[in-house]
Amino acid sequence: MIQVRDLVMRLPSGGRSLTILDGVTFDVKVGEVCAITGPSGSGKSTLVGLLAGLDRPTAGSIVVAGVELGRLGEDALARFRRETLGYVFQSFHLIPTLTAAENVAVPLEIVGVPEAPARVRELLAEVGLADRAHHYPIQLSGGEQQRVALARAVALRPKLLLADEPTGNLDSATGAQIIELLLALNRERGSTLVLVTHDEALARHAGRVIRLRDGRIVNGQP
Amino acid sequence: MTLRFALRMAWRQMRGAWRHFLTFFACIALGVAALVSVGTLAASLDGAVAREAKALTGGDLELRSARPLDAQAQDALARLRVEGARTTAVRELAAMARHPATGATLLVEIKAVEPAYPLYGRVQVTPPRPDHPLVADATALVEQPLLDRLGLAVGDGLLLGAVPFTITGVIEREPDRAASFVTLGPRVMIDAGALEPTGLTGFGSRVRYRTLVRLGEGASARAAHEALERAIADPSVRVTAFDEARPGLRRFFSQLTTYLGLVGLASLFVGGIGVASSVAMFVRRQLSTIAVLKCLGAESRALLAAYLVQIQALAVIGSLAGAGLGVLVQPALVRVVQPFAPIALEPSGDVWTLVRGLLMGTLTALLCAVWPLLAVRAVPPSLILRRDVQAAGWRAPRPWAAALPIAAGLAALAFWQAGSLKLGAIFVGAALVALVVLAALARTLILLVRTVPPGGGLAWRQGLAGLRRPGGHALRVVVALGTGVMLLVAIALLEANLSRQIAFERKHEAPSFFFVDVQGDQREPFAGLVTRASGGVAPALTPVVRGRLAAIDGVPLSRELVEAKRAAAPDKVWYFTREYVLTFAAEPPAGTAITRGRWWTAAEAAQRPRVSLEDEAARHLGVAVGDSLVFDVQGVRLEVEVMSLRHVDWQSLAANFFAILSPGALEGAPLTYVATARVPAAAESELQDQVVATFPNITAIPVRAVLERVAALFAQIGFAVRLMALFSITVGLTVIASTLAATRHQRLYETVILKTLGATRATVARAFAVEYACLGAVSGLGGVLLAAVLTWVVHRFVLDAQWTLELLPLAAGAVGATAVALAVGGLATLRLLGRAPLAVLRQD
Repeated sequence: MIQVRDLVMRLPSGGRSLTILDGVTFDVKVGEVCAITGPSGSGKSTLVGLLAGLDRPTAGSIVVAGVELGRLGEDALARFRRETLGYVFQSFHLIPTLTAAENVAVPLEIVGVPEAPARVRELLAEVGLADRAHHYPIQLSGGEQQRVALARAVALRPKLLLADEPTGNLDSATGAQIIELLLALNRERGSTLVLVTHDEALARHAGRVIRLRDGRIVNGQP
Repeated sequence: MTLRFALRMAWRQMRGAWRHFLTFFACIALGVAALVSVGTLAASLDGAVAREAKALTGGDLELRSARPLDAQAQDALARLRVEGARTTAVRELAAMARHPATGATLLVEIKAVEPAYPLYGRVQVTPPRPDHPLVADATALVEQPLLDRLGLAVGDGLLLGAVPFTITGVIEREPDRAASFVTLGPRVMIDAGALEPTGLTGFGSRVRYRTLVRLGEGASARAAHEALERAIADPSVRVTAFDEARPGLRRFFSQLTTYLGLVGLASLFVGGIGVASSVAMFVRRQLSTIAVLKCLGAESRALLAAYLVQIQALAVIGSLAGAGLGVLVQPALVRVVQPFAPIALEPSGDVWTLVRGLLMGTLTALLCAVWPLLAVRAVPPSLILRRDVQAAGWRAPRPWAAALPIAAGLAALAFWQAGSLKLGAIFVGAALVALVVLAALARTLILLVRTVPPGGGLAWRQGLAGLRRPGGHALRVVVALGTGVMLLVAIALLEANLSRQIAFERKHEAPSFFFVDVQGDQREPFAGLVTRASGGVAPALTPVVRGRLAAIDGVPLSRELVEAKRAAAPDKVWYFTREYVLTFAAEPPAGTAITRGRWWTAAEAAQRPRVSLEDEAARHLGVAVGDSLVFDVQGVRLEVEVMSLRHVDWQSLAANFFAILSPGALEGAPLTYVATARVPAAAESELQDQVVATFPNITAIPVRAVLERVAALFAQIGFAVRLMALFSITVGLTVIASTLAATRHQRLYETVILKTLGATRATVARAFAVEYACLGAVSGLGGVLLAAVLTWVVHRFVLDAQWTLELLPLAAGAVGATAVALAVGGLATLRLLGRAPLAVLRQD
């Protein structure tokens, strides 16, 4: 599903160049659940962002679902994202001016799915928010917002689901529910899941763990 | 990607952010309102002229000449009458009216009509009189100002020449009185048969002969028009059909509404600044939404489309509201214009004007919004990965490639509204220069604040620091306020200059009176009387005779030639058709400025008749030194050689002539005399009354009174222009208020920090005041500078008049701008001062 080779990411910071990722290489197979862990600042979020084509690496190559991301332009990347993957953010990133249902509908409408309203109802029911469809994000709790975000992420049945610290802004009980839901949704759809977390307990749910430290993979070491 | 997505997103965004777009909305609505109110005014003027065309013309056709119609013309009219037409002759002239008891006199415009007058429309008279006959024998209808000025009432007597008339009514409306906007005096209408006995039509007097024609049922005005033109060879007899009614009137109105329209367009463009800045602020707030949507797979183009749809929808709604407001405002504008319109105006809702206003509004909004909206394309989806700090600092690269098409689009709109290349170019040029100068000034101010180490107290330092707040508010405030100041001060400067030009007191060479029709045998007693009555000022008497141009360089002025010239330059054709007042002189008059050739010697004058021609007349006639002209002087052909061209400053109002002939050229011609005299103001009316009492045939034209009438007209026009400028000012203030409100959050934070550190509210208020005052002063300086340059350009290239720097409007503009910035800024931020620090800090 994913082949990452010699990935390097440097960002300018205060006039100097800061290395975020430093020669990262790994593969993720189709259907695998893979956790990326590491302390904050280790480059986890940047790595998963690069997998989604949200930014361009300084060096190295990323192939997702057979597509070499480096070859795509800005709009082709956007198309790639909606055709291939779903994305869950740590801080939900619901659009504040849209209701829960409308937020879930956005990816369907971007593609122009005709039966969008029915699909939205199903999706919201699946995450247990059928009765909150017409609430605005500000009227929802953090857990509810993240469930809306989950429904939005899986709306187009992506082959790959990327989740960047999905429980980072939630208390542990709510976080656990979200993870269960995430895994369930992934299982039902048979998609590949890449989950970023600094929570080792969470990582245990994954079939495979990639540990990052200072921009390098340190698997097997403490 | 579907259009449905774009539309749906647009709708949902608008639902959430309408409050944000109030400024946007107000800017577009006010700009469109300005344009629509002017446009519908223009339409109702046009409509009124078209509706009243026959009444304005006086008939289906009108023949107009400076001499009685010849036999040829009379025959042609007789043929029309055989075909069922009715005709009536009208004679108009300026002359003196006199109070029979007090001897007070007044210059009036006499109109002698036959019982058949008017052929179309009605003369409204109080108390009402039968339409036929309006006047008979020795009765007269007069306009109210005559009664007021001479202290008369209906039923009283009035002397015209030596003949007593009885005033039988007051003229409220006269259908065909639209010849000129500034009349020499009130109308006196008498019967045709009563004119000759007054002695006013004697030798040398200036009578305008009009023959009005009402065609029989079904007769074609066009055919009759052509038949008359064929039949009447004399090109000085002007034949007009009702459908070309009053071309001068139409030109005046179209120019007036064009200028008003440009002031309106300025409001819309200032509104464009508001549009651009509110869209820019909107995009900044939407950054994370845009990034999220991109993460979800939305393409830049689709997002841009969604936002464009949204902006356009708002622009359409704003424009519709503006059009509605414009229609509501129009009656006020009509009321302002009515006093100098000779026809009854009715507010109208012209559909094309509304459509045009809507197009102007939506296109301006689109063009102004595109620049900040293009940033949507550049927003990186990775923005959501970084934290708020970085997102807030993100700046879109400027889409310079789009700048040219946007500017070109706005320029095209300006040309469309201006309706002429020249005016459009001046408008676009002025707008560009204003933008560049004001932007440069704002940048300079910021640069100065940055480089000069600030001294003074906390308020001063904090205020100056506020100027370079991120977000570019200084630039926007200076451009919006500066443009408003420029408009207002430019209008004030134009008015000041115009009133300077027509202020009698400043015209030291201008006589108090022109006395016309002084007969040869009246010279001695007339001069004696003027000298006595004015306390020793002798009048200057100039011999004159009237003649019209018959040929230029051997080419006779045929009707075809005149019509060709009319088609080429309708407002210059009068150089060919007018009656020239000819005089002669051995020596050049004092102050003569010869521009070509030279003055004649006695010997040259004796050789053959020569002429010195005014240079503008020569230019329009296409005549150079050495060419020959033939004048028709009372039926006698007089060939003269052009020996020199002179420049004449007509605005000095001193006695001046287009054509001065060499001595001897007018030998034997029936001369009369024109006299001028400058007398003390206090002696004016006494002198006028005495002259008229002694010489009833002499017409005294009081220059001061005529100038005052012109000034009154200008004041009325100026009022209309200021009314339109009000729109620009309102838009400008909206832009400033919203721009300052956009810095609110930051200001609130600063206020709280300063207060936490122990600053009093007064200190914080002083800091803000320093900032606003600096912005206002810079806008004011830039605005008055631009206004001075703009009015200079307008005087030089459009009005062709002299320009003087008027300091008062400049100073008022600069001070006013500072005061306005302080007031608006104060109002926009006053509430911040009272907020409790802890509450604000907790929120953050």
